[in-house]
Order: sequence, then structure tokens, then C-alpha cells
Amino acid sequence: MPKSLILCIDDEALGLQIRKAVLERAGYRVMTAMDGPTGLGIFAQEAVDAVVLDYAMPTMSGADVAREMRRMRKSVPILLLSAYVNLPAEVMGMVNLTILKGDGPEVLLAKVRELLQEESNPATGEK
Amino acid sequence: MNLREFRRILLQALYFPILLLLLLAGFFLQQVGVWSKLQQSIAQMDLVATQLANLQSQIVEQAAGVRGYELTHRRLMLRPYERAKAGVAVDFADLRTQLRGNPVQLQLLERLSDQYDQWLVSAQGILDLGPEAVPDPEVYEHDEALMNGIRATVNALQQNERERRAILSEQMPDLEHRQFVQILSASLCIAMAMALFMRHRLKKVSSSYTAALDELEQRSREVQQNQQRYQTTLESIGDAVISCDIRGRVEFLNVIASELSGWSMQDALGRPLTEVFRVVQEDTREPAENPVEEVLSKRKTYSLSERSVLISRLGREYLIDDSAAPVLDAQGEMTGVVLVFRDVTEQRRSEAALIAGEKLAVAGRLAASIAHEIHNPLDSVANLMFLLRDETEPQKRAEYLEMAEQELGRTMQISRTMLSLYREPKSPVKVNLKELIQGVLLLLERRIAQHRIKVISELDEQCMVEGFPVELRQVVTNVLVNAIEAAGERGRMWVRLQPSPPEEFRGAGAVIEVIDSGPGITDFAAEHIFTPFFTTKGDQGTGLGLWVSMGIVQKHGGMIRLQNCGLDDYSGACARIFLPTKTLAGDRRLAAPTV
Repeated sequence: MPKSLILCIDDEALGLQIRKAVLERAGYRVMTAMDGPTGLGIFAQEAVDAVVLDYAMPTMSGADVAREMRRMRKSVPILLLSAYVNLPAEVMGMVNLTILKGDGPEVLLAKVRELLQEESNPATGEK
Repeated sequence: MNLREFRRILLQALYFPILLLLLLAGFFLQQVGVWSKLQQSIAQMDLVATQLANLQSQIVEQAAGVRGYELTHRRLMLRPYERAKAGVAVDFADLRTQLRGNPVQLQLLERLSDQYDQWLVSAQGILDLGPEAVPDPEVYEHDEALMNGIRATVNALQQNERERRAILSEQMPDLEHRQFVQILSASLCIAMAMALFMRHRLKKVSSSYTAALDELEQRSREVQQNQQRYQTTLESIGDAVISCDIRGRVEFLNVIASELSGWSMQDALGRPLTEVFRVVQEDTREPAENPVEEVLSKRKTYSLSERSVLISRLGREYLIDDSAAPVLDAQGEMTGVVLVFRDVTEQRRSEAALIAGEKLAVAGRLAASIAHEIHNPLDSVANLMFLLRDETEPQKRAEYLEMAEQELGRTMQISRTMLSLYREPKSPVKVNLKELIQGVLLLLERRIAQHRIKVISELDEQCMVEGFPVELRQVVTNVLVNAIEAAGERGRMWVRLQPSPPEEFRGAGAVIEVIDSGPGITDFAAEHIFTPFFTTKGDQGTGLGLWVSMGIVQKHGGMIRLQNCGLDDYSGACARIFLPTKTLAGDRRLAAPTV
């Protein structure tokens, strides 16, 4: 089974790099983008299995990126990462799962696993 | 009727009767003159009669002397003749004077005088005969005839006088009666004229007096009604009112003033204001300025300093807001002072609560930003710890540790910034406005970036002011957040800080300008922008930000203005904040309550 490809989008360079290392340690292939447009470019070209998306970003917020991705490929699961406790309901409806920054790597990995299982589930996924 | 006319009538009422009485007196005098002239005439007639009798008796005496000498030839007998001779001449002279105005009598008198002279000649003839001469009967008869003529003339004279006197005496009762009637008529006429005139004048005075009384009564009623109306008005208004005279003695206080001061109207009347209206400064407990003295010296409306406390007669305390104004009469002279005040204890409490609430809201917004800032590095550190746990390669471990340190350093920095945000000094400190603005911009960086707002900041290094940094940061945050929200997606903001040289009415300081490219302020918003609870942000705003900011800036002795700047690139609002180099906010106790 080929390794799942995860796309990580965050404007925080260091945080992004570390998150990438954590995910790679868990055995995933990881691609990164520092802003929404770059991320959407990769998303369009690559067969991304899941997206880990930061909510608060300049130029294009996580909500905008998620909306665009849903328009492009509805099936790809999205994990929204944020520092805010209360996100607007509209945003929550566009992503599969959310995680609070600071929840720790174990939670992150668990949620990513959950995403990928959901995706491979024939009831909801295309694959 | 005016006072002048009234006086004229009174003078007429005095002088007209005097004039009439003078006329009457003149008439009396004239009548008395007529009467006395008549009396004088009668007296003169009596005198003429007496003198005639006297003349006759002297002539008779002379005749007797001559006769005696004729018979006796003794010279002694001639003595009366000689003696009467001089007297007769005098009598003739007197009578001529007396009868000067009466030609008939005067003619008779002259005839008498001639007869007398003839007789004298005859008598002299007899005397010249000598003692030896024999009496001649012819001579005697001649002498006798002469003497008879004299007698007849004297009798005629006396008869004439008597007749004239009788005529006059007859006229007397008539004259008396006529004069009585005339005097009575004149008196009656004058009395009547006087009565009519006085009646007319007094009637006029009386009617105008009645009219004046009516008018006075009407005015007094109006004054009473006015007084009642003003009193009711003063009693019904919600503010406390005390009025006092020029010496500061209480003349009136309304119900609210009674309630607050604890003094009833009866008790307070005439007492010094300072006794009834006891006010101290809230913080120092020093007695406040006497408003009456302040108004008397300045002659204009005066407001007590803020945070004045009224201590009632029963010892209760009220925070009050008051003003004192001079009471001027029609000539502009000050006749007293009126004091209007109200209990603002509850209002101040609510204001303090509102300020505290806004501070909490600002703190909440800042806390959210800070949480976000801290969560990023914390997340990274947690991830690094996870990686380190299973990492065996020393180089990688060192790399992860360095990253963790870096991220922890960032957390510490944010935490320190956060602490300094709420560590307010007790007295004003030197604040570097550039650093302060940069700090706030840093906190808002993410928000600015999210909205893709382009910020140009031109911050002068030299702007140091005295003040309370937490409060000033609150003001700057407020203005910047407003600008961010107004500028909107892909908007522009221009933040400027520059020194401001001293001007006529203010010292040197610094000016912060925040200009945005938003829609600007509407006229309606411009009127209410500094009013509590006014917001253009719907549920998102508390409506207290600018109100609190205004309070803080004013406390520092500065000014805040909001207007539309009308520049091509920055069409929106321009917030200008002036802060003086030396602050007025010297004491922490004057500051808005802190959270």
C-alpha cells in the first residue's frame, strides 16, 4: 500500500516544518505550502489523500482554502488547525475534523488516521 | 395717569382755592374801604360841626368882651376879645381845610369870614371911641345886626352839615345791607366754585387712584401667579436647586435639595450656604471651594470640580455634579447666587462599570490574539518533544532541541509582552509612543494580514510622552482596530506619529494619526461617535471604545478628533490623537477604574 500523501498548509514556517517531521515520522508523505494559493496549486496537481490546514493565515484564510478545495475535489478530507476555540459553524461544515493548536502530536496523528480511515471507508469515500 | 399729572392736579387743588380766597379777601377789603370812607366822612362832619360851634362861641365871647368894654370902659373886659382873636383865625384856617371839597359850604364859610371881618372893623370902631364916649344906639344896632348875620351864617353852615350827615346816616343801613348781600354772594360764589373745582379734581384723582389700585392688585396677582409657577417649576424639576442672597445666606431650596442636603426649607432659611451645602473633595476630603465666593469674584457661572461629595445633615454622602450661577437684577447688579446640582453617585458607578466592561472587552480581544500567538509555538514545542522522544540521531536531536528553544523563546517574549500590557505603574511614566504603537501593530499583525491590509507606518523616534502605558495602549488598540475594520479586505492604513510643537493653548506633545481607506464616518455617526453604546459594528462592538478612549486621552490632557480625511488613497476616517509631553494625569486616583 503506497504511503498516503498529506498536504500541510500553514504560514508559520517553523511550525510547518516540525509538523511535517511529525507526520513523516508516522509514515506519511508530506507536501507543504506557506499560503493558501500555493496549497491549492499543489492540491490541483497532486493526488492528495488528506489536508491539514491552518485556519488563520494571511492572504487567504483556511476557510477560503477549504471552500475552494471542496469545490475542486469534495472527497479529500480536511483537518482544520486553529488556535480559536469557537469557529464559525459555516467553517465547521466545510471540514471533516478540527484540532486545536497545542493539543499535541498524538491527537494530530490520531485525527489524521481517522481522516484517512473515513476516506477509505466505501460508504463515504470514492476509493 | 402718570405721577406728573397727579402732582399737577394736587398743585391745582392747592393753588386754585388760595387764588379764590385772595379774590374774596380783595373784595372784603374793598367793601371795608367803602365803609370806612363813609365813617370818615361822618367823623369829618362832626368835627366841622364842633369847630363851627367853637368858632361861634369864640366870636360870641369876643362880642361879649366888646359889649362889656362899651358898658364899663374897663380894659379888663377886652381880654376874652383879645384871646379869642388868634383862636378864631386858626379855626377859620382849619375849617377851610376841612371844607375844601365842598364849594357850597366853603362859599358860606367865606361869607362868614367876611361878616366876621366887618364885625371886627365895627368893634374896632367902638373900641376906638374911648372911655368918655357915650354909647351910640345906632352903633350898637349895627353891631348887633352884624352879629346876627354871623349867627345866621354859622347856623346855615351847621344846618348844611347836619343835613349832609343825616343823608349819610340814612345811607348807612342800606350800604350795610348791600355790603352784607354782596359779601355773602361773593363768598357763596367762591365757595361754590371751589367746591366744584375740588370735586372735579378730586374725582379725577380718586378715579385714577382706584385705577392704580386695580392695576396694582392685578400686578400683584400676576407676580403671585408667576412666583407660584416658578416655585412649582423649581419644585418639580429633577435637579436640586438652592438660591442664596449676596451674602451667601440661603433663601430657597427645592424638595430635591432638601432630600439631598437633609435640611428643610424652614431650617435652612437664612443660614450660610456652607452650612447647608457641605461639600468636600472625594479624594482629599478637603472642603470644596465655596461656590458663592467663586461666583461673586468671577461674576459668571461656575462649576464645582469633578468628584465633589455632598455631605448631608445626617452624614450621608452623595457624589454630585453642580454649577452655580449669578442672579442679576434689571440693572445687571448681582443680587444672589443660584446653585443647581444633582446626585450622580449611581451614574458614576455605572460609568465606572462601563469603563471596566470595555477594559474587559479589550482585554478579552487581546487575550484571544495572545492565545493564538502562544498556541503556535506551544504546538511546535509539543511536536518537537514527540519527535525527540524516538530520535536517536544526535544531529537531528540537536536540531529539534534548538527549534524547541527558539519556539519557547518566542513564547516567553509573548508572555512578557502580555505581562507588561497589564502592569500599570502608579504614577505617569515616560512612554515611548513609537514602541507602544509598534507593539500594538505586532499584536494586530495577524489580523491585518488576514484582511490583506496594506499598512504604512511613519513613526518618529523622538516622541516620548508622560502617561499610563496600559491606558494609552488601549486607546491605540482601539483606534487601530477601528481602522482595520473600516479599511476591510485589501484596504489601506496609514499610521503616523510625529512631534507637535507648542501652540497658544497647549504645550508640546505628539500627534498620532491613523488614516484608513474605508467608507468614512457618516454625519450621524460623527455626532454620536464619542457617546457610550454608540456602535457601527452591530453585535461585534460594545460601543464604548471611543468613549473610553476619549476619557483616557482627556485625562492625559490630550485631545482626540475623528473626521473624514478625504485623501485620494485614504478616503476613510482620520483619527488624530494629541498627547502632551507633560501629562495632566498626575494622580492614579483620578484615573478611570482599572480591572
